[in-house]
Amino acid sequence: MDPGAPWWIWPIALFAVSFAIGIVAVLAGVGGGVLFVPIVGTLFPFHLDFVRGAGLMFALAGTLAAGPPLLRAGFASLRLMMPLALVGSIASFAGALVGLALATDLLQTLLGTLIIAIAVLIWRTRTADRGGVDADALGMLLGLEGQYLDPAAGVRIDWRTHRTLLGLGAFAAIGFIGGIFGLGAGFANVPALNLLMAAPLKVAVGSSGLLISVINSSAAWVYLQRGALLPLIVVPAILGVMLGSRIGARLLGKMPASSVRRLVIVVMLLAGLRALTQGLGVWS
Amino acid sequence: MELERPDRALRELYARWLDRTTKAGFAIAVLAFLIYVSGAVPTLVPLADLPRYWGMPVSRFIAATGSPQGWTWLRLLGYGDALNLGAVALLALVTPTCYARLLLALAAERDWLQAALAAAQLVVLAAAASGLLAGAG
Repeated sequence: MDPGAPWWIWPIALFAVSFAIGIVAVLAGVGGGVLFVPIVGTLFPFHLDFVRGAGLMFALAGTLAAGPPLLRAGFASLRLMMPLALVGSIASFAGALVGLALATDLLQTLLGTLIIAIAVLIWRTRTADRGGVDADALGMLLGLEGQYLDPAAGVRIDWRTHRTLLGLGAFAAIGFIGGIFGLGAGFANVPALNLLMAAPLKVAVGSSGLLISVINSSAAWVYLQRGALLPLIVVPAILGVMLGSRIGARLLGKMPASSVRRLVIVVMLLAGLRALTQGLGVWS
Repeated sequence: MELERPDRALRELYARWLDRTTKAGFAIAVLAFLIYVSGAVPTLVPLADLPRYWGMPVSRFIAATGSPQGWTWLRLLGYGDALNLGAVALLALVTPTCYARLLLALAAERDWLQAALAAAQLVVLAAAASGLLAGAG
């Protein structure tokens, strides 16, 4: 797009891109932030500071809107969320401070590398519903267990988690990275909850959304305090993703999810490569 | 399972508050944005000038435009851009509001461990929102 275009072109284009990301992210089962930050950061004229701030609000808005139905269905667990969100939000706060202090070229390079790594992670990750793990002492103390009704199977599933300390460590690392780059980090939350802590996949996906809504609130305040939230970027982005997510949810049963997932991986690889080459000064 | 009934009630409570506050936050954000882009109120940085600045790092952007940092936007709500920062701040306040309500419910149930977690989370969010640790600039 022409950088000299009138100002009003950009929020309209941003709304359209966010709308499309909202649809694709739901269909592919990824958080929109991993698409938003690299795509908007490389295709739009906004500085990466403002794109990361908008990325945090983008992920926050999507998860705030999705939270109530996930909680009511029992797919999001407050007991699971609270200790992990506490650790994650402290780390995210620290990550946001670090991110705003780093040089843009370094950030672009790290972002590109991270996005390519996430694309590979999404491609390679397999999920597991092991059930029946023995809770550790800390998990029992925190009451990290629950139950939900699986609508597909029509049965009530009882679950509990284990490896609580490792899980807390993982969420500290995820929160820190999310705060630096303005990502929701659902791509890492779900494997950490499902593969590491043995939460059922549906509980992992549901609780991941709720976790993002808490963790990103902490980092969002840092960006707001530093003046790194530009309303002309933030508001069209959150409106676009909200509408797009709703359309995506309606299309969920009609689209081949595996094809969409492959498309997302390709887009992430391209956007990551673009950010990486920009950061290294190879292609600016 | 003995824990299930209070858990479900807490989930429903949190969901209800999340739903209401999020919808209110979005409605206010849309309204504030329409006021901003329609030109109905003055702006700190004219919309047509923004493309000259939005490619700058935030520190240079602030220096060039004099845009508000910290909580100074609160005193400038008559300007469209500051008004929108207020609307965005409301969205960032949704989680603390829900947590505050959850804390009251947990305390009423004498679930002190979960109440302590909720209270600690509120302290972290308040520290982030205060700007005392983040600094401004």
